[in-house]
Amino acid sequence: MKDPTFWLLARASGLTAYVLLTLSVLAGLAVKSRPFGRAVKAASATDTHRFLSLLALGAIALHAITLVLDQTVHIGLAALLVPGLAGYRPVATGLGVFAAELATLIILSFPLRKRIGVRAWRRLHFATYAVFAAATAHGLAAGTDTLQPWVFGLYLGAVFAVAAATAWRALNHPIRAKGAPHVPDRDRPIAV
Amino acid sequence: MYRIVIDQSLCSGFGDCADLAPDVFELESGGRAFVRIGESADPAVLDAAAACPMGAITIVENQAA
Repeated sequence: MKDPTFWLLARASGLTAYVLLTLSVLAGLAVKSRPFGRAVKAASATDTHRFLSLLALGAIALHAITLVLDQTVHIGLAALLVPGLAGYRPVATGLGVFAAELATLIILSFPLRKRIGVRAWRRLHFATYAVFAAATAHGLAAGTDTLQPWVFGLYLGAVFAVAAATAWRALNHPIRAKGAPHVPDRDRPIAV
Repeated sequence: MYRIVIDQSLCSGFGDCADLAPDVFELESGGRAFVRIGESADPAVLDAAAACPMGAITIVENQAA
């Protein structure tokens, strides 16, 4: 019998990466929408968002490495880099490769943001939604555990949470329209 | 006029402010942002404050102006 260690690790790290990605997206949205008001500072949300993003990247790397080491499905190094090369559920695994590469690009863009400009960086950051969508489809279609009720519930909960947080963010847009009247308030600064 | 204050304990040098309102904000060599002029009428300072990922910029509208 084959040693199932890497297969179990690959499944566990995949689900972990998805949870961390979801939490990172939620924390990123919370930076500006401030769902907890003044109880959670923007700085704390930003730090949490960056920390979770790096953890997610680590979990994705572990997911990829364990899939190469595992003998249950045969995924070579080339299949990790080129979407669709894997023999095992090529479309679904290809979506995972695409999501991982786009996520890496978005994270790598952070240290380069001064070079590419804040506005261009922000536009690129919207591609995170494509990462989340591709990761969700990848997990649902390629995941061995999708049919387990708690795993399916996890995907459902993640999609609902990100959709709700995005709607909240859209409704709490902090940047006012130019020329809008400002009401001076001694206790409450007009912009923080 | 807007009075601009940066909480230096929060600033992490993201540089969004200096990008959006370069006349008002500047990144020093150490990476932290500082205010070149303490007051400005440029509404871009509002965008800069709203964009700060650390919430380090406070803008207060001066009633005297």
